[in-house]
Amino acid sequence: MAIEIETRAEQVETGWRDKDGFVGPYRPGNGPRTDPRGEFPTGPEIGSRLPDIRCLDADGQAFDLHQDRGDSAAIVIFYRSAVW
Amino acid sequence: MAEFDAGGIRVYALSYDEADALADFRNAHGITYTLLSDPDSEVIRAYGILNTLIDPEDHPWFGIPYPGTYVIDSNGTITHKFFDSNLAVRAGPEQLLRALRGEPAAATGTAVEVAEPDEVTVHVFLDGESLTPTVQRDLIVRFQVPNGRHVYAEPAPEGSVAIDVKLEPNERIVQRPLIRPSSELHMLAGTDESFPVHHGEFEVRLPLTVNGGVLDEGSHASLTLNGTIRWQACDNEVCDIPVSRSFELTVPVTKSPPVALRGEAGQALEPNARAHFQRMMDRRKSRV
Repeated sequence: MAIEIETRAEQVETGWRDKDGFVGPYRPGNGPRTDPRGEFPTGPEIGSRLPDIRCLDADGQAFDLHQDRGDSAAIVIFYRSAVW
Repeated sequence: MAEFDAGGIRVYALSYDEADALADFRNAHGITYTLLSDPDSEVIRAYGILNTLIDPEDHPWFGIPYPGTYVIDSNGTITHKFFDSNLAVRAGPEQLLRALRGEPAAATGTAVEVAEPDEVTVHVFLDGESLTPTVQRDLIVRFQVPNGRHVYAEPAPEGSVAIDVKLEPNERIVQRPLIRPSSELHMLAGTDESFPVHHGEFEVRLPLTVNGGVLDEGSHASLTLNGTIRWQACDNEVCDIPVSRSFELTVPVTKSPPVALRGEAGQALEPNARAHFQRMMDRRKSRV
């Protein structure tokens, strides 16, 4: 899949306004605002089992998502960062 | 979170941050869901959602995913996905609860009702108590079509009108394509013609958020959504003329939830914020 970078932007007094009207310091298409235009990968398909997630939790302990949730339904969010 | 807890629904949020940065974030904001640390983006890569548009040399941004959310059932099967091309737009809690429960989580008290001579009833409301910058919520248009009647779905036959919902342009509103329910094929009696229709009670949903412009001005704590709903109802023999009705729905606008260590606007930085960011810069430089 050839993924394009969304670069539509307008410079305003307080930064750069993207195509949806969000204003930020980075020009869309650069740094953290390097967003796709059109199709982009969204990972495993609906109807498939959520692939294993084994990593660390916030306390630095080994973590296994399917083991942790047991028989519960769950929401699994992938986001940019808690630092910036 | 209370509604997720009450429903026995676990919530996990994964990022490429170091564990201790997540612990600080959790403690600074009283977060009760589970934060997961994937500093080498191993899980993100395995999922195939690493943002590869970012140059690996571009520190510290390289390593983030195309952000999105998976909803899984008790068997671990993915039932819904929420991904948006704009990093700033994310699924709202009501959208996720609705995905799990199959029904709206909340409704503003200012629902608009439209009842027509063709006996089709339409309610318009926001699934949520307010609009919040970056957080998506659905404008729900609920149709009730009497027994023995149907309305055209998309694509309608030539000269007919499928159900549609359109908002008037508003530079503060970020909207995404209308989500329509699945349709059924209706056979025209005595012919081999068929076309897609909707029956009974169903909803169309228009995902919305605001881009922050409302709160920037300080004095606007609400936003008025103006729009138009169209439909055309038929029974097995005749069709009514298409109906077009406008609506106006005023909803409160609330401020964004905390999204980073910087916390609430105007508050001091969380004590370790700069150190975490610096480490993130250094880390990426040493690992590429």
